[in-house]
Amino acid sequence: MGLLALGTALEWPEAKKKAGQVRQWGIEQLLANWRRARGKERDALLWGDEVEYLVVALDDAAKKSRLSLAQADILKSLARDEALWKSGSGKNSATGDHAGEEPPHFHPEFGRFMLEATPGQPWGIGFKDLLKVESNMKWRREVAKAHMAPNEVPITLTTFPRLGTKDDYIQPYYPPSGPALRSQFVPDEIANPHIRFPTLAANIRSRRGRKVELNVPVFHDTNTPRPFKDPTVNYDLHNWPEDDDVRNGAAKDDHVYMDAMAFGMGSCCLQITFQAKNMTEGRRLYDQLSPLGPILLALTAATPIYKGFLVDTDVRWNQIGNAVDDRTPEELGEAPLKNDRWRIPKSRYASNSTYISQDPRLRKEYFDPDLVVDEDIKKRLMDGGMDDLLATHFAHLFIRDPLVIFSEDLEELDLNKSDHFENLQSTNWQHMRFKPPPPDSDIGWRVEFRSMEIQITDFENAAFSIFIVLITRAILSFDLNFYIPIQRTTENMETAHARNAVLDRKFWFRKDPFPRRVPRSAQQSTNGSTFSSTTSSAVNTPPPSPPLGPVETEFDLMTIDDIVNGCADGSFPGLIPLVESYLNSVNVDVETRCFLASYLDLIRKRADGTLWTGARWMREFVAKHPSYKKDSVVSEEITYDLVKAVEEMTVKEGKKGSVGWELLRGKKV
Amino acid sequence: MKLILSSSNIMQAGRQSVIRQPLTQKSNVELINSLRSNFLASQQIETSPANGTANGQAVSHPPSWTLQTEDALYIPAIDFSHPGLSEERDQYDITVKLFYLPGIPISRRCAHTREAIDLVLKELHVKSIDLLIVSFPGILFDADDDSEEEDNEMSNGEPDDFDSLVQTWQVLESLHEQGVIAQLGVAEFGSERLARLLPHTKVKPSVDQINLKDCCVVPKNLILYAKQEQIQLLTHNDCHDILPVGTTRELLGPAEKSGAGILASSPDANDGIQGDIEPQWVVKYTAVVKDRGVVENKGYFASADVGSCLKDRS
Repeated sequence: MGLLALGTALEWPEAKKKAGQVRQWGIEQLLANWRRARGKERDALLWGDEVEYLVVALDDAAKKSRLSLAQADILKSLARDEALWKSGSGKNSATGDHAGEEPPHFHPEFGRFMLEATPGQPWGIGFKDLLKVESNMKWRREVAKAHMAPNEVPITLTTFPRLGTKDDYIQPYYPPSGPALRSQFVPDEIANPHIRFPTLAANIRSRRGRKVELNVPVFHDTNTPRPFKDPTVNYDLHNWPEDDDVRNGAAKDDHVYMDAMAFGMGSCCLQITFQAKNMTEGRRLYDQLSPLGPILLALTAATPIYKGFLVDTDVRWNQIGNAVDDRTPEELGEAPLKNDRWRIPKSRYASNSTYISQDPRLRKEYFDPDLVVDEDIKKRLMDGGMDDLLATHFAHLFIRDPLVIFSEDLEELDLNKSDHFENLQSTNWQHMRFKPPPPDSDIGWRVEFRSMEIQITDFENAAFSIFIVLITRAILSFDLNFYIPIQRTTENMETAHARNAVLDRKFWFRKDPFPRRVPRSAQQSTNGSTFSSTTSSAVNTPPPSPPLGPVETEFDLMTIDDIVNGCADGSFPGLIPLVESYLNSVNVDVETRCFLASYLDLIRKRADGTLWTGARWMREFVAKHPSYKKDSVVSEEITYDLVKAVEEMTVKEGKKGSVGWELLRGKKV
Repeated sequence: MKLILSSSNIMQAGRQSVIRQPLTQKSNVELINSLRSNFLASQQIETSPANGTANGQAVSHPPSWTLQTEDALYIPAIDFSHPGLSEERDQYDITVKLFYLPGIPISRRCAHTREAIDLVLKELHVKSIDLLIVSFPGILFDADDDSEEEDNEMSNGEPDDFDSLVQTWQVLESLHEQGVIAQLGVAEFGSERLARLLPHTKVKPSVDQINLKDCCVVPKNLILYAKQEQIQLLTHNDCHDILPVGTTRELLGPAEKSGAGILASSPDANDGIQGDIEPQWVVKYTAVVKDRGVVENKGYFASADVGSCLKDRS
């Protein structure tokens, strides 16, 4: 989440009237910024990871675990220490293992039970930097814990298993059904009290015309009733007009029903942001990483429980999509279009729908034929000099309404700021994000990879972060091509939700990622490397090459094992062999290579099934718990034991047969 | 006759360098595949319909996709006028690894080193390289046993003794002195061998590149010694005998046997260059954009002598 400005937030009816103005100003800010920054060149690779935590309070006597709403106190205490740190007198100053490292940064998140931590300064590609990532993550966890109450712990589960149940799952307790969320399961106090968050939730609900609706298929165990009717749903609540939602059929049979933004935006993710050397490279990485989004989502699957029930999906993604879905019935296609401008196929939080690289390999068949674009905005951008691809991308993001508008910001348009642009950009939560340099800063063009689920241990979080970094280096070094029609990526994103998709499902993936060999004599026109450092769009003419075959022959259904480790028939080489080939081409010291080998080994084994995903481990943990009644119910007691196990795992990391060895080590000894 | 084989930039050709294999398996597949693939690509340009050649017999010797100069036959022809790197020199880390091959007299190493480095400098359009790692034949690192062998007889019996190693090092030091090479490195040295070499050097090796079955088991005394002498331990996965005679003959042999059609099918056949083939050296070069970790250019050159009267081995 970005900086939180203060001001007077407009309620939806008012905000709606100003939406056009915010969009227009946002586009002018984008154009001004794009003109300033398009020539930025030779930025180094810098990257950062974001780790999000749930703060859980443990009551050992009662064997209960609850979400702690202590975010504000913890952040205040952290900020005090950070100030001391800067003045050089802090008790936790960076010594020993972390000498020379900047203290980590902590940020608020949507949920008042969440924390986000980022490294004190971005990482580079120096291999020594890669070694620091894991220890820095552990350090962040220690620092965070040091600022909590003695019975509180930061854990990295994507969701709290009993968020939204009938019992007192939060501390301090607040009853549900407040004016902002109007949820029958969670109180308004669950969200960060900063005006931005309740306004965001309220305006999404208001724009939509009803509460958000999350129906997650329940996992049917032997004793689970059929049909399963979510027993926690209250059909007799009459506090708010939205309480009618359930009486109008919002809660579906055989599904766990949830009704508030907190069920989605209260999830923890692992997000990685890269700085590209220039806009061209950023656009290329945005495109090439996009098909990897669903693959990494399935590989990191860690979300099998919602509201006290085992569910039949393994990941958080669609739940967040539904939790922030502000589309009206007209936009959803449930009512004829009268007042709204278009039907919109996806939530604001969804897989991405555009390719933006000026790459001769980008075929028109890869684009989404149903892409919704605001043509006026596109025209404005193109009149302002932007090329068609990038203008289309932003004109697609700008089909949405701004959700939180501060009236103070509407007095004067400041082209040296990006607040209106960011208003739309940062509430388009797609699985890839292309980020222009902020005005008044040294930062370059960036790309954010957003699909991964947070992992229980920092070893895993470091492994996946570094894996993605190495993949970007392999993409750039080998000039790899992962293009598939973007609708296949959308489809893959759905596939990734299935229980045990990592082993049981197949995903569309490109068969041959290698560039066609350009004979030396034909290279002259393209200056050696295909479209290396130039930012001009004139290089878009491909060198003469044989005609391309049908698009359908370029990709195939593959297992995650095929994609990660390579196909047995040698057709697709595998992401890990690609990364190892890259590592064999650069100078890596022995110690670093050893670390990297353990990270790559984790991913290799997650993909081939030797190691379990977090989701699988949690399912097994629940299934084997002595108090589990095979009825899909994850009780308070099971949740307490699960949290304790997770806490132990973050320390012992499955070594010597300790808890979690199945997802970290693969063997008990 | 001297042959210069080249792969051109293998990063742009991709596939041949990515092999689905366990990390620990050493291999020369990358070298062989990249040479083969570059030969094929060059032949394809030549055999476009306009040139109308193809079927074995009528092809001129040497084929037109190669280049015969006064000193060597280039396979394929290299046009050094192409820019080697897209950015300024100081953006790159250029690492070169030179493989001295088994059975080749040590007396040739001075010339070979110069020759190999010159090709790389020409190819990349640079005046110097950042790191030269040399790989001596017969030196094998064994992670399980750091007391590595002193009896390293080379495959055909000529001992690569310690004096020759020092002699070779002096050649490298002179290149360092001339500013052509910024740092020197060795490959596969255990701590004892390093300790023996160091007193005889003016320019210490700054790198020791080792190939490990499992890179997490580096002998402790090597780690300690390297740390003490400020020698960086790097990893690699090159195989030891990187270009054997048989492989070279296969690579350059008749097209029917998927060779490049340079060498005659047998020493006395007249469908190509006659005589025996003797690989002399192999050099691998890598240009990495420093602060982005992108490998922009990577390739190989290899040199082989062919003919009925190969140079006297003395």
